[in-house]
Amino acid sequence: MKKIVYILIMLIGCNSFSQGCSDAGICSIGNGFSSAIDSSKNQIEVGNIFGKGLEDVTYISPYISYTRVFNTHFSLTTKITYSQASGSFGTRGNIGDAFLVGNYKFLEKNNKQWSSLLGIKIPFTGSNDKINNFSIPMDYQSSLGTYDLFLGADFKYKKWNFNSTIQIPVINSNANSYFDEYSASNDFPTTNLFERKSDVLFRSMYTFKSKNEKFTYKPNFLFIYHLGNDSYEDIFGNRQKIKDSEGLTINANLISNYKINETNKIELSIAFPVVYREIRPDGLTRSVTLGINYKYSF
Amino acid sequence: MKKILALQILLFVIISCEKEGEFAQTNNQTINLNSAVLLKTGQFTTTSGISGSGNVNIYSVNNQRKLILENYTIENGPDLKVYLSTTDAPNTFVNLGNLDVETVYTIPNSVDLNVYKYVLIHCQQFNHLYAIALLN
Repeated sequence: MKKIVYILIMLIGCNSFSQGCSDAGICSIGNGFSSAIDSSKNQIEVGNIFGKGLEDVTYISPYISYTRVFNTHFSLTTKITYSQASGSFGTRGNIGDAFLVGNYKFLEKNNKQWSSLLGIKIPFTGSNDKINNFSIPMDYQSSLGTYDLFLGADFKYKKWNFNSTIQIPVINSNANSYFDEYSASNDFPTTNLFERKSDVLFRSMYTFKSKNEKFTYKPNFLFIYHLGNDSYEDIFGNRQKIKDSEGLTINANLISNYKINETNKIELSIAFPVVYREIRPDGLTRSVTLGINYKYSF
Repeated sequence: MKKILALQILLFVIISCEKEGEFAQTNNQTINLNSAVLLKTGQFTTTSGISGSGNVNIYSVNNQRKLILENYTIENGPDLKVYLSTTDAPNTFVNLGNLDVETVYTIPNSVDLNVYKYVLIHCQQFNHLYAIALLN
């Protein structure tokens, strides 16, 4: 436990000015490859992610997840997220997205194992929540307002995991109506009728356990490339590209898991970006996130 | 586990709030009509299934053109916007922002009111037109 606290303090102490990724997007989906459920058929997970975003925006993002293991190869995970943002515009919370992710693991041979992932994300909002009838930036929205498809593959070799996932917005239902021109703030770009491009994630993760196997540590790096410039509709109804919203984000992440017994686990995670896009109109601007969750298997 | 689930659901409910901050506070602008020059005026006609009435006036105030709604009673809807439009349909338009009867809308200098002759009340999210006013 002392080691965990030490590592957390070290990570928190790092001076990070960074992008971060969605608490409920490609980052957490990519992590799904490594979530083994031992011999249990079912797992319920509840968690909270605390985040610090651009300017003075802070986040509380709870979620509930259920995983059903059908056999040694195939499992299905559902997840519902919520997010509340607080900052100079005020406080706005709403239910975010529903996820459905299928994971197929191939047989392990010579310490090598492949697995694949297919998932969808369904938004509960059009990303147009308002405060006092004021349109608010994407940073305050609980969902990106897109129906997304996830496709991924993972290669496990001994204690290493290497996985790659693509997140494709298939249907855009984003109805955000924030105009920088009509806002008292100059900190957020216009995102009226925002359209978002796809992301590709690559993650490398190393897993090691304590001697008594109660603690598991998973330090990892996430590389996320945003595949194009996002766009919005200006006050004249013309679509405008947001220059420099395409680009690379690199997140450092540490996951620490404590196994209370065979059915109960607690997990802590901390993540922060070390490289980020110049413009982040989608509001995925976490400079640091701290997550805690509880997993119950039965 | 049941307790933790119940607590999580309770947390969802407790933080389901909306609280306004300094950038989301109503800024009640007013126009001194004694020094304002009325440029255009119009009366709203509602579209099918929409009830209510209202007027729109455009004033020149200190070299800026301001649009205000008067006697406005048209029924509310989701994500309603005020558009200046070249026709009575939202094809070529200027989006002046969210509908708010108290708001004084500033019209961009580049907008020619002889070309943008209509004011529309339009639901952007569901692309539904609520009301049309021809400016005279």
